[in-house]
Amino acid sequence: MKKKLVSVLMCAAMTAALLSGCGGSKDTPAESQSANEPAAETETKTETESNEEAASGGKTYAMITKAAGNPYNEKEAEGFKEVIEANGGTVIIQHPEAATADAQVSVIQSLISQGVDSICVAANDTNALQAALEEAMDAGIKVSSFDSSTNPASRMTFANQAGTQEIGQALMDAVYDISGGSGQWAIVSATSQATNQNAWIEAMKEIMESDSKYAELELVSVEYGDDVPEKSTTVTQALLTNYPDLKVICAPTTVGIAAAAKVLQDQGSSCKLTGLGLPSEMAAYIGDGDDFSCPYMFLWNPIDVGRLSAYISMALVNGDITGAAGETFTAGDMGSYTIVEAADGGTEVILGPPFKFDPSNIAEWKDIY
Amino acid sequence: MEKKSIWKRMKDSREASLVIVLILLCAAVSIKNPAFLSLNNIEEILKNNAVTMILALGMLCVLLIGGIDISIASTLAFTGMSVGLLFKYGYMSSTLLGFVLAMAIGALCGLIIGLVIGKGKVTPIIATMGFMYIYRGMAYVVGNSQWAGADALGDFKNFALESYLGFGLINNVIMITIICYVIFFIVMKWTKFGRNIYAVGSNPEAAEISGIHVARVKIAVYTIMGLLSGLCGALATTVYASAQPDMQTGKEMDVIAACVIGGVSMSGGKGSVAGALLGALMLAVIAKALPLVGIDSLAQNTVKGVLIVAVIILNVITKRAMDKSNLERREM
Amino acid sequence: MAGKSGRTINATPENVWKKQIFSWEGILVIIFIAVIILCKILSPNYTFTNVLREMPKYLSEIFLLFPMAYILLLGEIDISVGSIVCLSATAGCLVSNAGVPFGGVVIVILLTGTICGAINGAILVKFPELPSMIVTLGTQIVFRGIAEIVLGSGGSVSLSNTDGFRMIAKKAGPFPYVFFLVIISAVIFTVISVKMKFGRSLYAIGSNRQTAFYSGIRVKKVIFTAYTVMGLFAGIAALFLTSALYGANTTTGKGFEMDAIAMAVFGGIATTGGKGRLVGGVISAFIIICLRIGLGQINMNSQLILVIIGILLICAVLLPNITGNMKLKKKAN
Repeated sequence: MKKKLVSVLMCAAMTAALLSGCGGSKDTPAESQSANEPAAETETKTETESNEEAASGGKTYAMITKAAGNPYNEKEAEGFKEVIEANGGTVIIQHPEAATADAQVSVIQSLISQGVDSICVAANDTNALQAALEEAMDAGIKVSSFDSSTNPASRMTFANQAGTQEIGQALMDAVYDISGGSGQWAIVSATSQATNQNAWIEAMKEIMESDSKYAELELVSVEYGDDVPEKSTTVTQALLTNYPDLKVICAPTTVGIAAAAKVLQDQGSSCKLTGLGLPSEMAAYIGDGDDFSCPYMFLWNPIDVGRLSAYISMALVNGDITGAAGETFTAGDMGSYTIVEAADGGTEVILGPPFKFDPSNIAEWKDIY
Repeated sequence: MEKKSIWKRMKDSREASLVIVLILLCAAVSIKNPAFLSLNNIEEILKNNAVTMILALGMLCVLLIGGIDISIASTLAFTGMSVGLLFKYGYMSSTLLGFVLAMAIGALCGLIIGLVIGKGKVTPIIATMGFMYIYRGMAYVVGNSQWAGADALGDFKNFALESYLGFGLINNVIMITIICYVIFFIVMKWTKFGRNIYAVGSNPEAAEISGIHVARVKIAVYTIMGLLSGLCGALATTVYASAQPDMQTGKEMDVIAACVIGGVSMSGGKGSVAGALLGALMLAVIAKALPLVGIDSLAQNTVKGVLIVAVIILNVITKRAMDKSNLERREM
Repeated sequence: MAGKSGRTINATPENVWKKQIFSWEGILVIIFIAVIILCKILSPNYTFTNVLREMPKYLSEIFLLFPMAYILLLGEIDISVGSIVCLSATAGCLVSNAGVPFGGVVIVILLTGTICGAINGAILVKFPELPSMIVTLGTQIVFRGIAEIVLGSGGSVSLSNTDGFRMIAKKAGPFPYVFFLVIISAVIFTVISVKMKFGRSLYAIGSNRQTAFYSGIRVKKVIFTAYTVMGLFAGIAALFLTSALYGANTTTGKGFEMDAIAMAVFGGIATTGGKGRLVGGVISAFIIICLRIGLGQINMNSQLILVIIGILLICAVLLPNITGNMKLKKKAN
C-alpha cells in the first residue's frame, strides 16, 4: 500500500514544482497586484464592503487576444502594455488556449474573479461572448473590444484598426488596379465566422455593386482557408485550376495571404495577389515584376491598435468617456480621437486608414512587425 | 490460366478493392474536371499530402503493435517550430542540418513516449494524449509568439521547390516520400525487425515467450514514429514556407483514418505498407478533389466526413463478401 | 494496467477504511484537497464564490464525462461528442430564433443530440468490425460539417431571445442550477454502474466481449444505448453551454471530447475497457476544473496549463505502475 502514498507525494511534488516554476514567468505579471485590487470584486451584492477601497491604488487593465502564438496579436499586446505601464497601470495579457469563443469565455470569467478594472477583447465570435461580458460589465468592469468586434450589447466601444468601408475600398481599388479594371477575381478568407473578415468581404461586395466602374470585375468565389496554411494552400491551388483566367486573388487574412503568395510565386502564375498581411511574413513575396506574386498589400500598425485600445481602456476607467458616440478623448502622442457610430449599431473609434506596403517600403517594415 | 490466377489473387487481396475505389474516384473527379489528372495537379496532391503519407508509415507500425499515437501532430509542430526558429534567428543555414536536427528532436520526443509506454506500461492512448498537450505546449513556448515566415527561412524553403534529389524530374518532397516508402516496404517485408513488429501486434505474450523483447520493439516503434514526425515537421515547414505553433493541428486523426481506410487493424497485427499508401492517397484525393468538383466551400467538411465513413463501411462490406466467397469455395 | 489495484469489481476488502483511503479514488481526494490548497495560496481571488461563479462553463463538460465513462468501460471511444454539442447548440439557437418557446428549444437540443448519438451507435452495432475511433472520427467531421452548412457564411448565430437560457443559468445562493444537475446525474450514473444490471454488463462487455455475449448479455443493445445516452448528454451539455454563450458557432464544443476522455482517464477508467469507477472520474473532473480555474486566476500561459494537465495525466498512470513494479521486484527478492 505504500506505493500509492509514494505516488501521491510524487504527484503533489511535481505539481508544486511545476507551479512554482511557471508562476514567476513573464506571462503572469499581475498575480501579486491583484491581491490589493478591490473594485467590485464579484457579485456586487455579496461584497459591497470592499467598495470603499476602490478609489486608491493602481488600476489593472486586461487584454484578451484571439489566440496564442501569433506575432500579430503579440504586437498588439506590446503596444497595449507599453501605454498602460507608462501610465502606472498594471497589465494582464491573456491568450486563450485555442482560437475559439469558448476559450475566451473562460478567460473573461477568470478576469472577473480577479476584479480587474477593464477588459478589452479581440473577439473570436461576435455574439458568443455576450453572456460573459455582460457579467463583467455588471461587476463594474469597463469592457471594450479591439481588432475584431463583439456585438454592440457586449461592449462599450470598439478600437477599430481601420474603417470597414475604408478597408473594403482600399482592397477593391487594389483589385481594380492590379487586374487592369476587368476580369475574374477571388477571395481567400480565414474562417467562415471571423467577424472582421466577413465585414470586409461584405463591404467589398457592396462597393463592387454600387459603382459601375467595377462592372467588368467578376468575383468568382469566396474560399475559406480556416487560417491554416495547408487548407489555404489547397483552396488557392484549386482556384487556379478551376479558373485559369483568374487575374487577382484578394486575401484579407495574414495566414491566407502568405499561403496564397507562396502558391502563386512558386507556380510563377500570372495571377497576382493583394490583401492584408504582415510585412515580416510577406517580405519575400512583395515586389515588382513577374518574380513576385504580390505587387502591394495593406495593413495597419498592430502596435498602434494596441496603444489606441490602451488609451480607450484608460479613458473608460477614468470616466473620461462612457462609450457614447460624439465623445472625444486624447490618446497620448497619437492625438485626439472621437467616438463614432459603428455600422452594427454600437460605437467605435477608428485608428486611421489602412497602410500600403509596396516594394519601396517593405524592407523597412519587415523588421518591425 | 496465368491470367486467371492473377485475377484471383487480385480479387482476394484487401488492397484490390481499395485500388478499384481509388480509380473510380479519380475517374469520377476527372470527368467533372479534366484538370484533375494533369501532371501539375498530381504533383500538388503528392506534395501537399507528403506529410500524411509519411506519417501513415509510422502510424502503420504503431497500429501494428496494437498501439496508437495521437501526439504526432504536436511533435511535428514542436520540431517544425524549433527548426524554423533556428533558421529565423540565424543559428543555422544548412538545409541538411535542418532536416537532421528535426529528425533528431522528433526521435527524442518519440523515444520518451516509447519509454513511458514500453517501460512504464502506460496505455498508448493516455500516454500520447498527455504528450499531445505537452509537445504542443512546448511548440508555443519555444515559439514565444513568433512565426518563422518565408523571409526568415532563407534557402530552406527552396527545398520543396527543387528536385535535385529526384534527378531533376521528381520534386524533392515527393522523392523523400518515395524513399520512405521503399525503406519501409523492405523493412516490413524482409527484415527481422519488421517481422517482430507483426509478431508483437498479433500476440504479445507469444512474442515475448519466443524471445522477442516486446518493450524494446515498442520503444523502437514509437521512436521511429517520432523520427518521422520530426521529418514531417521539417517538410511541412519547407512546403508551406512557414512554421507556426498551431501547425497541422488534428493531423493525427487524418493519419489514423488513412491507415484504417487502408485496411490496417486498430487492434494490431494486420496491415501493410501498400494499404497505408492507398489509404493516405484516398484521403489526399478526396481533399484535393472536393474544391475542384465545385462543392461549396462550406459543405466540403461534411462531404469529406461522409466519404470517409462510406469508404470504411464499403471496406467492411467487401471484406464480408470476400470471406463468404472464400468459405463457399472451400465447401465446393 | 495491472498496477491500478483496488478497482476490480468483486474484490472483497480486508480493511474497509484502509482500502478506501489507499484506493485510487482516495488518492484523488487527497490530490483534490492539495490542488485547492495550492490554488488558494497562489491566488487571493480563489474564493468559494468565485470558483463557483467560473464553474458553469466547465460543468457543461462534466455532462459528457458520465456517458463517456460508460463508453470507455465498454472498451470503446467516442470522439464525436464535441461536434454533437456544436450541432445541438446550433439547432437550438436556430429554432429559438424562429420563435419556438423555450420548452420546444430544449426538446430540439436534446433530440438533436440523441439522434446524433443513435447514429453513432447504429453504425457501430451494424458494423462491429469497425473501430469506434474511426467511425466517430467520421461523424465528428460530418456533425460539425452540417453545423457549418446550416450556419452558412458568418458561421455564427446569436440568440434573439435569451430569457429561457438566462433562467437556467441562474443560481441558488452561490450554487448555479447546473451544479445540482451535475451532482444528480453523477449519482444516477454511479448507481447504475454499480448496482444495476446495465452497469454490470458494461464491465462484462469491456472485460471480454465474447464471454459477455455467450453469458446472455445483449451486447449490441448495451452499446447502442451507451452511444445514444452519450448523444443525449451532449445535448444537455449544449443546452448549458448555450446559456453561457447566448449563441453557437462552428467552433462551439471543439476539443470537448478530449477533455472528457482526459477526466475519465485521470479518474482511473481504463481506455481498454472493463476497469475503473465513475466516482474517480467525477473527482478527477473537479480536480481538473479547480486547477484550471486556479491557474487561470494567476494568468498562467494557457498553453502551460495544458502542459501541466498532460503531465498529470501521464503521471496518474505512470507512477502507480512504476511503484507497483518496484514492489513486485522487492517481493521477488
